[in-house]
Amino acid sequence: MFKHICKLVWNRKRINFLITLEIFISFLVVFSVIVLAVYYADNYRQPLGFDYQNVWNIRVEIVQKSGAAEKEERPQQIERYRRVLAAVREFGEVESAAGATYTPYMNGNWSNCNTQTTCYWGNAVTDDYKDVMRINIVRGRWFGKEDDGASYKPVIINRQLAREMYGDEDPIGKPLNPRDKMKPGDKEDDKYVEERIVGLLNDFRKNGEFAEMKGYAMFRNSLSLPDDRPPRALAVRVQPGTTATFEEKLLKRLQAEARDWSFTIKPLAQMREEMNQRSTTPMTAFSLVAGFLMVMVGLGLIGVLWQSVTQRMKEIGLRRAKGATRQRIYNQILGELLIITTCGALVGVLVVVQFPLLGVLGFATPKVYAYSIVISLALIYALTAICGLYPSWLATKVQPADALHYE
Amino acid sequence: MGDIGSTRSLPLPVPYQNRVLMLKNYLKIAFKVFLRRKFFTFISLFAISFTLVVLMVAAAFLDHTFAPHAPENKQDRTLGVFFMEMKSPNDDSTWNGTAGYGFLDRYVRTLPNVERVSIFSEPDLIHSYQNGEKIPAYIKRTDGAFWQILEFNFLEGVPFTETDDKNANAVAVINEATRKKFFGSDTAVGKTIEADGQNFRVVGVVANVPFLRQIPFSDIWVPISTIKNDSYKKELMGNFIGLIQARSAADFPAIQDEFKARLPQVEFPDPKEWSKLRGTPETYFNSIAREFFGGNKDHSKTYGGKLWAAIILAMLLFMLLPTVNLININVSRIMERASEIGVRKASGASSWALVGQFIVENVILTLFGGVIGFIISRFVLRVITESGWFPYAEFQMNYRIFLYGLFLAVLFGLLSGVYPAWKMSRLNPVQALKGASR
Amino acid sequence: MIELENIEKVYRTERIETVALSNVNLTVREGEFISIMGPSGSGKSTLLNVIGLLDVPSGGKVAINEKPITSYSDRNLARVRNEEIGFVFQVFHLINDLSVVDNVEIPLLYRKGMSGSERRKLALRALDRVGLHARVHHFPSQLSGGQQQRVAIARAISGNPRILLADEPTGNLDSQMGDEIMDVLWGLKESEKTTVVMVTHDPRQAEKTERIVRLFDGRQVS
Repeated sequence: MFKHICKLVWNRKRINFLITLEIFISFLVVFSVIVLAVYYADNYRQPLGFDYQNVWNIRVEIVQKSGAAEKEERPQQIERYRRVLAAVREFGEVESAAGATYTPYMNGNWSNCNTQTTCYWGNAVTDDYKDVMRINIVRGRWFGKEDDGASYKPVIINRQLAREMYGDEDPIGKPLNPRDKMKPGDKEDDKYVEERIVGLLNDFRKNGEFAEMKGYAMFRNSLSLPDDRPPRALAVRVQPGTTATFEEKLLKRLQAEARDWSFTIKPLAQMREEMNQRSTTPMTAFSLVAGFLMVMVGLGLIGVLWQSVTQRMKEIGLRRAKGATRQRIYNQILGELLIITTCGALVGVLVVVQFPLLGVLGFATPKVYAYSIVISLALIYALTAICGLYPSWLATKVQPADALHYE
Repeated sequence: MGDIGSTRSLPLPVPYQNRVLMLKNYLKIAFKVFLRRKFFTFISLFAISFTLVVLMVAAAFLDHTFAPHAPENKQDRTLGVFFMEMKSPNDDSTWNGTAGYGFLDRYVRTLPNVERVSIFSEPDLIHSYQNGEKIPAYIKRTDGAFWQILEFNFLEGVPFTETDDKNANAVAVINEATRKKFFGSDTAVGKTIEADGQNFRVVGVVANVPFLRQIPFSDIWVPISTIKNDSYKKELMGNFIGLIQARSAADFPAIQDEFKARLPQVEFPDPKEWSKLRGTPETYFNSIAREFFGGNKDHSKTYGGKLWAAIILAMLLFMLLPTVNLININVSRIMERASEIGVRKASGASSWALVGQFIVENVILTLFGGVIGFIISRFVLRVITESGWFPYAEFQMNYRIFLYGLFLAVLFGLLSGVYPAWKMSRLNPVQALKGASR
Repeated sequence: MIELENIEKVYRTERIETVALSNVNLTVREGEFISIMGPSGSGKSTLLNVIGLLDVPSGGKVAINEKPITSYSDRNLARVRNEEIGFVFQVFHLINDLSVVDNVEIPLLYRKGMSGSERRKLALRALDRVGLHARVHHFPSQLSGGQQQRVAIARAISGNPRILLADEPTGNLDSQMGDEIMDVLWGLKESEKTTVVMVTHDPRQAEKTERIVRLFDGRQVS
């Protein structure tokens, strides 16, 4: 039976080629949406690593000079920043406050590649950041007084970065910038300072739930060392239920403290929504368009199959006259369709597996890729099967006598 | 009147009349075929109108973002200095971004043979507070020339001037939406608003400008000199944009050459840190294209053409699936009309005449789909406009998009009609006429 | 009028080769009414299609009006079909979506330089000639079989062709209607001097024609 159907499909190859082509393109469309969806869903399941509720971000814009002038001015700026931080903490509505180069959901990334192979996103935070963001250290410790005046730079990293650097070894106490792995130019640098890993985080997803999984490292900003710069932002944990009225009060106070700096206050919850929308909005738009495309393809398929059943009345009637049961006819029409679908989808899978080799869709891990292929295949088969139901049923209604009628 | 009547009754020259009649015959057949198989007509129209909706909405989006709309009425003779690149002596540090005021003021404002140069900042989000409520607003810092190059529609008052900028007067122009947030339905001129910790006296109110029009867009416009700290005046890189109004587009190459000639002469405050500057004055579209294709490295080329090509390619790629779908439907229906094809061939229709007939039929169908798509597009655009996803966006159907939609419908009709029509015309008349059922 | 010389027709598919006509020689004079007879599959329809230029012979020469048309392009063949030849089929092949007069106008649509009023005039005259002037605006489905075939004849003669080819024109009709159709064809021969070639397997109708050409297995037997 199977061989027979294959033969039929082959003999009608000219028409079937077009349907195969359509299914192939449909597969690519479905896959490209699914791979994005699976990727986001996979990222979404991972731990966030912080608590954004009741945390406000205060962006601080400091007009900085450049070059030597900036260095000269820096101690004053740092001193001012400390005063600003102290002023914020005075308010009863504020539970805790810390400085950070980037708070979660803030635009921009500090990307660092200080060895030949490993790149990660960095941040520099003050000691209170742990309380503000409610960070959980899984191994080692958070920054503390013991780091003051140390010969190394303390750093806390996430598991992903630990794995990339040291595999399954315990990273605590090891350097993030091993001297032997540094770029040739930097290796001979006399000013080498070890960045020592003192703590390990599960993760810290600065760019939110949908962002890619990437190495993350937090450095300490003690607001006292010559290398420390005033952080660009403040993270402030406020009492639950604090309103915009306090925002205004806080802003007035900040402006009084540093007149030529600019401050912008925004709750992290709101920033989170805006950032996540940047992932979900295109996703929704793509899905909507792809969904409509699939409805269109589905309707088209029903039409083509219906037409083909009408044209093959004679053949089907003949089969019925020769003793084929309704079930067999039904299976035959559906079987033909499934073979065509398999051809189209197979070519699709073959094309799609080339993408990682060509470096396209580099963001998707093999697991995400495999899941996406399976889901896309399931969807394409479901689509064609549903479209085949009515025409196949129609074919079973053909009476044996019709064969003679159409002679 | 009588004249018009008589001209109308004058018969067309015979060959034209012939063609018109042929077309009339085709139309008649087409409508009958559409009506006879309503399900097929429905799925064809669904596919066509959906495809055109997506493409027309995308076109409206591009038109909204790039086409010349007020206040950018002089877009055809303005250039902008949008993105610049600064490099260290040994090229290991790169600073990509917008230019600084210092650079623009010293090297761009002084360009010869231009009508006007304006310098203004990128819009910056700030929050103001009114009666315990937070009012977010964008603020843009501009000079006086800004209001002369861009032709804003003033609902109230006047723009601030060059003198206001020179004297650092705390004056502001606000848009309609901001007026509403601060003053409800009252007038605003002469009143004071608080923004970024400063108080500004409102001198003018303009109609809202869409967010996607990045050159004019803002909620509040204030003089550049009201920036709290004046270190911006020396910056080579910063957050400013320069807008150059030329006498005509013909002057563009000369302006660009002069700009390039000036770049090596730029004085760097610390040549050990930064020593090279690159950039090109160009149209907004070209600058977006340059960003899109990472063209910061090569300023001898423009990337607008490449972006156009990419847009057209994306459009064709999107049309691929609907086209194959429609071809499939059309091909599967060829046999339905075998008898008609046979008769026409026997009656002396050449293959070309038949190809023509079926393409005309398909184009008519796609034009129908185009009309439906046009109506749906208007609806979709209204929904997007009213959703507020893009502040102050006014997505509209204009004659450009209408023509584009018409073009697309015809193109789609041709693409999806040619292959089935060719197959139909190749149908062997003997087979088609052989005692087959109707 | 029509000259066939050594006509061969071989159908080739991937595996099988079928000889439909071999060594057929036939001359039909102007104004002659002949019939082609033969059992099913003897090649009579193929022969008619070769004469009607719908099918290209594998070998031999075809001349219409002393003009050899064997090497004509698709466009020129179409023009000859349009101007010189009219077709009538067993199953009428009327376009159901068009009214009677629109159907009759079809060959005139493909004629260069003819105005709409002229076209309508010719179509009405053709319908008049087959006795259907009262049904001009009906649709084919509203007519009886005999009437439909008369519309088909009107369509075939609307362009005043010199040759009328009829493939079993009475095959789908009862004998009374069949006789009526034969009368119409005779009328055309008599009044317009139209050359009529008719394929039939009905000896009663064949006997009414001036000459019978018999085919058997693609060969001419008389």
